[in-house]
Amino acid sequence: MTKHKVRKAVGYSVLNLVFLCLCFLGLIPILYALSLSLSSGGGALSSGITFLPSNPTLDNFKAIITEEPFLIWLKNSFILSLGTMVIAMGVSVEAAYAFSRFRFPGRGGVLKLLLLLNAFPQILSMFALFRLFKELGLLNRHLGLILIYAGSMCIFGIWNMKGYFDTIPLEIEEASKIDGAGNLKLLAAVILPLARPAIIVTSVMILIFVWNEYLFATTFMLSEGSYSLAGGLYQLQTGDYGRSWSMFSAAAILVSIPILIIFFFIQKYMVSGLTSGGVKG
Amino acid sequence: MKGKKKYQPWLYSSPAMILIGIIIVFPILYTGFISLTNMNLFHWLDYRVIGLENFKRALFKVDSGFLKALLTTLLWTAVNMALQLVLSYFIALGLNAPGLKLRRLYKTLLMFPWAMPAYVSILLWRVGMFNTEFGLFNKCLSALGLSKVNFLSENIPAFLSCMILNLWMALPFMIMMIDGALQSIDKCYYESAKLDGAGFWKQNLHITIPFIKPIMAPAVIMTTFTTFKQFDIFYLLTMQKGAYTGATIQTIITYAHQNAFVSNNYGLSSAVSIIIFGIIIALSLFTNRGVKETGEMALRKKGGAYDKA
Repeated sequence: MTKHKVRKAVGYSVLNLVFLCLCFLGLIPILYALSLSLSSGGGALSSGITFLPSNPTLDNFKAIITEEPFLIWLKNSFILSLGTMVIAMGVSVEAAYAFSRFRFPGRGGVLKLLLLLNAFPQILSMFALFRLFKELGLLNRHLGLILIYAGSMCIFGIWNMKGYFDTIPLEIEEASKIDGAGNLKLLAAVILPLARPAIIVTSVMILIFVWNEYLFATTFMLSEGSYSLAGGLYQLQTGDYGRSWSMFSAAAILVSIPILIIFFFIQKYMVSGLTSGGVKG
Repeated sequence: MKGKKKYQPWLYSSPAMILIGIIIVFPILYTGFISLTNMNLFHWLDYRVIGLENFKRALFKVDSGFLKALLTTLLWTAVNMALQLVLSYFIALGLNAPGLKLRRLYKTLLMFPWAMPAYVSILLWRVGMFNTEFGLFNKCLSALGLSKVNFLSENIPAFLSCMILNLWMALPFMIMMIDGALQSIDKCYYESAKLDGAGFWKQNLHITIPFIKPIMAPAVIMTTFTTFKQFDIFYLLTMQKGAYTGATIQTIITYAHQNAFVSNNYGLSSAVSIIIFGIIIALSLFTNRGVKETGEMALRKKGGAYDKA
C-alpha cells in the first residue's frame, strides 16, 4: 500500500460521506413529511425531532381520503389533465406537422413569435384572462381552465413535436405519397406511429404540467366542488394546522407519488433532449 | 393545386393558432389596453382611458414600490444564479470523480427535489421547515436550547428562506446540466495537463470551465429567466391569500399580481405587466443567439411547469 493509494482511498471516503450528507439534506423535507404523514394525530405538535414515527399508522391517509373531498379533487385533476391533453395535442400535432413539413412565407416568423410568447409569464396577463372569462361565463368551469392550460401548453407541444418530426426522413413520406396517400392520411398512418415516442413524452409533460399547476387553478376555480388537487391541498394547508398538517403531508405525498414515478420514468428522455439541445447550439 | 398548397399549412395550424390567439395573444393585448385605463374595483365598468398615467406612476413615483421590487428582483436573480452555478459546479465535479462507485444512486437521490411538484415542495417547506410551531428548523433550535425564530415574518430572513428553498428546488437541474456537460469533455486533455504539472485549480480554470461554457450557456440563460420570473416561492411562502407572514418582499411579478388580485389596481398592475413584458423582450433580444435553444429548452424543462408562473 503506497502513500498515494492511502490518500486516494481517504479522499473517496470523504467524498462519499459528503454525498451521503448532501442526499440526506436534500431529502429532509420529503422524509419529514413522510414521517409526519405516518405518525398518529399529534405527531406534528410533539417537540422531538425524529424521522421514525413511534407507531406508524396509515390513519392520515385514510382520513384524507374519507374525511376530505380528496377523491373529488382527484377526479377534477383527472378531468383537467385529460381534457388539456386531448385539446392541446389535438391542435398542436397538425400545426407541428405543418411547421415541420411545409416551407411557407411567415413560417420562421411565427415560430419565433411562439417562442417569444412562451417566454412571457402568463401570470401577467392573468387578470385580463380573468375578466375575459368572467364576461364569457367560463369562470369556475373545467372547460375554462382546460382552454387556458391547452392554450399555454400548445406552444410547447408544437415546438417539441416539430423537433421530432424534423428528424423523420422525408423519403418515408414520399414513398407513401407515391402510393397515393393524401396529407392527412399520411399524418395519421405514417407520421403519427413513427412519432410515438415524441407524442408520449409531450402528452406526459402536459399531464405533469396540469397536475402541478396551482395558481390558475386556485384563481379561476372558486367553489370547493371544482377544486383540483392543487386547489384542495392549498386549502388544506391554509386551514387549521396541527391535525391538518399531518393530513396535508399525507395528501402531498399522495399527489407527488404519480409525478415522481412518471418523472423518473421519462427522465432519460428529458435529459437527453435537454443536453442535445444544448450541444446543438 | 398551387393555390391549395399555399393555404394548407395555415389550414393545419389554424386550430392551434386560434387557441393561442385567444388564450395568449388576446390577453396580452387586453392587458396593454387596461394599462392605459384607470380600471379598478370602483371603475369595473365605467373605466376611462387615462393615457400613460399608470406607467408614470410605476416608473417615476418611488413610493409606488415598483422600482424597489425591480431592485429586489435583480438582487434575487444575481445572488441565486451565482450560488447555483458555484455549488452545482462543485457537486457535479464530485459526481464525476472517476472512482465514485455510487454515482447513480447519488444522482437519483439528488433529483428528488426537482421531481416533486413545485407547489407541494413549497408548501411542505412552509409548514414543515419554516413554521414557528411545527417547523423542523425551529424544532432543532429549541432542541439546542435556543429560542424559536419566525423565519418568514421579516424581510431579510424571509428573503434568505426563499433563497434556500430556491436553491433546494433549482440545484438538481443545474447539477444535471453541468454533469452532462462535463461528460462531453475528452479525458485526454486532463492527462496532458497533468503531465504538464497543472494542479486541480489550473485544470478547472483552463480546461473544464472553457469547455463547458458554450454547452452551459443556454441552460444558464434559461435558468436566469426562470429565476427572474420566480413567483411561486415568494407567493406561497409569504403571501398567500389571507395568510401573510409579515414579510413584505415583492418581486416585480408578485407586485403585478398583488396589484391585480389583492389591491384591485388593475390599471397599475397592467402597466407593470407591460413593462415586465418589455424587459423580457429586451432580454430575449439581447441574448438573441441563445433564444432559440433557450426557448426550446425552457419549453422542455418539466413541460414548462417550473417555468410557467
